[in-house]
Amino acid sequence: MSEMKEPLLRVNQLSVSFPDDDPYDGIEERDSVLSSISFELHDGEILGVVGESGSGKSMTALAVIRLLKKTARVDGGEILFDGRSLLTLSEEELCDLRGLGISMIFQEPMTSLNPVLRIGTQVAEALKLHQGKGNEALSDEQIHREVVRVLTEVGLPDPEGVCLMYPHELSGGMRQRVMIAAALITSPKLLIADEPTTALDVLTQAQILDLLLKIHEKTGVAILFISHDLHVIRRLCHRVLVMYHGEIVEEGETEKILDHPDHEYTKTLVARIPRVETNPGSDPVLSMDKVTIYYPPRNGSGSFFKKPALEAYVYNASLTLYENEILGIVGGSGSGKSTIGKVLSGLHGIYDGGIELFGQPLKEVLATNQRPQMVFQDPYSALNPARTIGWSLSETLRSHGVKSASERRRMALEMLSEVGLEKEIYERYPRELSGGQRQRVCIGQALLYDPKILIADEPVSALDVTVSSQVLELLLRLQKERNMSMIFISHDMNIVRSICHRVVVLEKGRIVEEGPCGEVFDNPSHPYTRQLIDAAMLG
Amino acid sequence: MKKRWTLSRIWEFLKLNPKIFAGLLLVGFFALMALLGQIWTPYSVTRMDSTSVSLAPGLQHLMGTDNFGRDVLSRVMNGLGITILVAAVTVMIGGLIGTVIGAITGYYGGIADAVIMRINDMLLSFPSVLMALLLISIFGPGTFNVILALGILFIPSFARMVRGEVIRFRDRDFVRNARLQGISDFRIIFVHILPNARISILTAAAIGFNNAVLAEASMSYLGLGVQPPTPSLGRMLFEAQNYLLNCPWYAVFPGVTIILVILGTALLSEGFKELS
Repeated sequence: MSEMKEPLLRVNQLSVSFPDDDPYDGIEERDSVLSSISFELHDGEILGVVGESGSGKSMTALAVIRLLKKTARVDGGEILFDGRSLLTLSEEELCDLRGLGISMIFQEPMTSLNPVLRIGTQVAEALKLHQGKGNEALSDEQIHREVVRVLTEVGLPDPEGVCLMYPHELSGGMRQRVMIAAALITSPKLLIADEPTTALDVLTQAQILDLLLKIHEKTGVAILFISHDLHVIRRLCHRVLVMYHGEIVEEGETEKILDHPDHEYTKTLVARIPRVETNPGSDPVLSMDKVTIYYPPRNGSGSFFKKPALEAYVYNASLTLYENEILGIVGGSGSGKSTIGKVLSGLHGIYDGGIELFGQPLKEVLATNQRPQMVFQDPYSALNPARTIGWSLSETLRSHGVKSASERRRMALEMLSEVGLEKEIYERYPRELSGGQRQRVCIGQALLYDPKILIADEPVSALDVTVSSQVLELLLRLQKERNMSMIFISHDMNIVRSICHRVVVLEKGRIVEEGPCGEVFDNPSHPYTRQLIDAAMLG
Repeated sequence: MKKRWTLSRIWEFLKLNPKIFAGLLLVGFFALMALLGQIWTPYSVTRMDSTSVSLAPGLQHLMGTDNFGRDVLSRVMNGLGITILVAAVTVMIGGLIGTVIGAITGYYGGIADAVIMRINDMLLSFPSVLMALLLISIFGPGTFNVILALGILFIPSFARMVRGEVIRFRDRDFVRNARLQGISDFRIIFVHILPNARISILTAAAIGFNNAVLAEASMSYLGLGVQPPTPSLGRMLFEAQNYLLNCPWYAVFPGVTIILVILGTALLSEGFKELS
């Protein structure tokens, strides 16, 4: 590769803006989403773009393939791909972008595949459209052979069979493989991947990343990889761009940027996950003894008149939570980790075996104010959209028997300040709050009655990295101040390692490993644990 | 700290929602007309006058007179009141009962839900005018019976709409959390979940009001609703049909009034829909 060679993709001083949100104030303003960004991507390079939501990283990708919304306007700059300016292409030439050699993979493999078409048809589509424009027409048989070839390449077992399937018959990971196959079938020079692994569980995520690396090695395709996950970026990318408020604030070799960031924002982005500093006590507050948890099957085998047989989701689980302890429960999706949280908080009640809290059976504790409180994963769904924050907090207090409205208000305001929020939040509706603020409200709501046990079910997985660290810090501070025990359910091994005292690993409803975080993470004894740790790219 | 509805905030709101503004103006104007029509009308509503039969609109009679010499404007003002009363009470009956049924069946689901919703589907599958006729043939004609029949008829559509809304929210975490706090199901349904459906309910009520105005008009047109000599807009249209060629104003003015009232509520419902 000669030094003087023109880069495959050159973005020069690109600016994009949207019209102002408020069309009624009579003033035409525009919100700038990308301001004068410039970068280059060379042949065969993997370039990462990292930043929090709203930083403009997806916008950059959409601008390159000209998929911006109609209201968006390119205010200046140029995009050169392989020496051709993409911004001046006609509609017609644009339709043949795939022919030019750009393919894209999206975040959500569920919605980017058409549910009513067979996989084979969908993968072949790009090839069919693209042939005949300069390429010689392929026979149906040749196309089919190509489809099977790429499906094999992305590691799908039985590609012939997969061709005949519909998207709903595949798992999330398989769907994302299909998307990659569809993107590769036209032998692109550039692959744009917008958060391709975010919707997948940890293990699948690792497999997809491996697959992308393998394909990159084999075909030398350049990849523009957009992600908010620094671990993923570190694993995959040669160089990285850090975006913040529509600007590129830092750019360079991945290792260098992530290990020695210069810009303030990058520093907060790579900020360490807070570490637990308390020591757990030795009195058990909660113990589960050989608990098996059942659910009625989803598409029941029973009929209208006959109750279907129950299916077990968690088998023979025994665990103990001690005073002042933070216990992590980890596992892939479907491992049953949330199910345990649901039972302990009282959301689900079909189980065998003994559960005791403070020496009393769970069912008795659930009827008292001592019941464990819960922080949910999605703060959007955990707050009533029709009510103000103050009303929601006050309602929780009311249900606990605080009669006086002014007393409820005082307690709610106090709690808001305890979780680090301004008292103005009291009058706000959930939609006016950011994700981090909402999660703080939810934590405050759970703590209103001073529970001794807090169950947090993936409390930060819906949040941006920087916000997530702040919320974790809050949880750790509250745990320390209030001497709470906490069960922290998560798929994120990095967080669990840092903030939990002990960890329980669940695989398909069975506890496969349990122990202090240090031991388990340094010397995993079960292969599944090792797999999880490798997938999380620790060390 | 509570946000108050000051005049300036209301004005801001109306400027941002021109459809609601226009709808309120139209509906407000006719509501005032109707109210006024109950207290005072230019002429007597029911007294016939053989000296002024079928006069064209003019300064004396702004909307002309009918075949009995009654002032059309006076009858429109008075009849509008009956029409609005019938429509409003109908929507209230249908809306209240339908909301309660929909909320409860939606929240609990199960066999009761399945059974009630199938009855619902059955009611919805009949043409509504036919159902109303059936009910009136049981109850007998009259203003009160029309309200009752139409009210019953309106229950299923509200029930179905509210049920859908409740199902949309019942598995959200905030509802789960409320259950965990030991809050009663009744309070969860009506205080936690239903406020989330308020805009849909308002929209449905506005659409329902439209349908009720039209349904009352058709019932009265068929002679089954409001009984003479009490005027209602539908009744007036019915009586006017024989005189369409000689004195069209007799039909035109009640007809235009119906159209404008409906336009007003339709604008309101459109505006409400845009709010959500």
